[in-house]
Amino acid sequence: MCKTIALICLSVLLVAGCNRRNAQSLELTLDWKPEPEFGGFYAAQLGGHFTKHGLNVVIKPAGEGADTWQLVATGKTDFATTSADQVLIARRSGADIMTVFAVYQTFPQGIMVHKARGFSSIKDVFTHDGTLLAEDNSWLRLLHKKLGPAKVKIATYSGGIAEFLARPDYSQQCFVTSEPILARHRGSDPQTFLIADEGFNPYTTVVICKADLWRTNPARVRAMVAACREGWRAYLDDPNPANAAMHGLNPDMDLQTFTEAAAAQKPLIQTDKPLGTMTADRWNALADQLVDLGVIDNSIHGQDCFVNP
Amino acid sequence: MRGGKFIANVLPPVLVLIVVTAAAEGIIRALAVPMFLLPRPSTVLQYMAQHPADLLASLGTTAQAALIGFFASAVIGMILAISLSASSVTRRAFYPYAVFFQTVPIVAIAPLLMIWCGPGLAAVAVSALVVSIFPVIANTLAGLLSTDPALEDLFRLHGAGRWARLWKLKLPSATPHIVTGLRIAAGLAVIGTVVGEFLVGLMGSGEGLGVRIVSAKKLGRTDELFAAVLIASLLGLAMFAAVNLAGRLLLRHWHASEQD
Repeated sequence: MCKTIALICLSVLLVAGCNRRNAQSLELTLDWKPEPEFGGFYAAQLGGHFTKHGLNVVIKPAGEGADTWQLVATGKTDFATTSADQVLIARRSGADIMTVFAVYQTFPQGIMVHKARGFSSIKDVFTHDGTLLAEDNSWLRLLHKKLGPAKVKIATYSGGIAEFLARPDYSQQCFVTSEPILARHRGSDPQTFLIADEGFNPYTTVVICKADLWRTNPARVRAMVAACREGWRAYLDDPNPANAAMHGLNPDMDLQTFTEAAAAQKPLIQTDKPLGTMTADRWNALADQLVDLGVIDNSIHGQDCFVNP
Repeated sequence: MRGGKFIANVLPPVLVLIVVTAAAEGIIRALAVPMFLLPRPSTVLQYMAQHPADLLASLGTTAQAALIGFFASAVIGMILAISLSASSVTRRAFYPYAVFFQTVPIVAIAPLLMIWCGPGLAAVAVSALVVSIFPVIANTLAGLLSTDPALEDLFRLHGAGRWARLWKLKLPSATPHIVTGLRIAAGLAVIGTVVGEFLVGLMGSGEGLGVRIVSAKKLGRTDELFAAVLIASLLGLAMFAAVNLAGRLLLRHWHASEQD
């Protein structure tokens, strides 16, 4: 009897513990596993940049499942990473979120094809036979609109590169920092075309929080952004320590891939402006594109979606 | 008389539907639940009213794959069960592998499905087959093995051969079990189809409900998402009802389970 009561108490405590977050600590939820696209956040933690700005940040990797903006909007996490087009979709859906930092200044999404096919642009992918594996996203809709009816068969993409490796007539979506490197390691001959070159270029791996947090506690948000910027600076200068830490958390990705990916993404992150800053022009241009594609309506304005704290 | 019975059967679930829908609408409005978590039933119905052609095309694609998968499950499942029932040695040797179908995660074999069958109908129907075949095998086998031994002896006594015993005794007496297996398989075939479409479906005009669900989720369109889920559920319900009806027609003259 006593044992049963003790067990019940223990489970209640455990459950309560799961739900309660330390008031002092902040959570940053990533929209994927620890990979170079999040290197600067891990570098900020390793280098003590969060602590320096008076923050105790817990980084939580996530997988498929709830969109990270939903976790932010419902208060399940303080900060999260997502992409700019998802921020606009979130705001259309009534989620009051704010973008405060943008890692990728160039959209890292691309389409990976077999080099042997001799394609020179995404248009070639669309106008030839074969199969393209892709998620139905704003960018796919834009490509449809721009390139007209596709000759290529488009099938749902469920992750990985197995189909691509097995079939010479298959193309697939990719992050230029990830799948092409993996495919090359497996002996394939990938060639990658950036979606950004077709005129769709949302900021990606952007850090978001509740707009309310920015309104009520801008100092905290500023501290977070400053720490992220320092972390990313450190990662761009020397990715090795953070790569080793992330490899420990995500052993599926080997260190060589981490190194190559970190090098591949550098030009997409670094510009002549301070790391992570955004412009209203680009946000408005993206919003206009999404309105044009029918993904959002024109009540959502790009300039309301971000701040440069 | 028949009309009265029909109303007595149909009225209670319809009333439940209306009450639950109205309550959901009221609660979602009262608590101001954001659209991205749960859309109001009225917005889902509105979406359905505005896009009937698209949704019907999607339903057609999904129903086609689900029906192919279901009939393949029924035929292959029964053949496998009959083979397994033939001798206790084959049963011991192969039955554990039939359980494989029960446990295989479709997501793990999606690349194989896509490479072997190509994306689209064939791969999706195979996914429906894999997900729905086990209950057909298990129930058919249970039915075949629970034939009354006294009747078997009687058949043997009159010199009935193996095939005659199968056709005239074992299969008929297993029919209630088979119908139960098919009932379960009908719902599972729809689930297997929708999941198959998540993984190996074709996009474009007339894309299946599963493809539509994934797109709607990606683009934050919960009204479209729930509309597609609702239609998939109705498809499962319709297939279940069709199997029920067939079972009733087969069994009503002689089996207690379908007499009332």
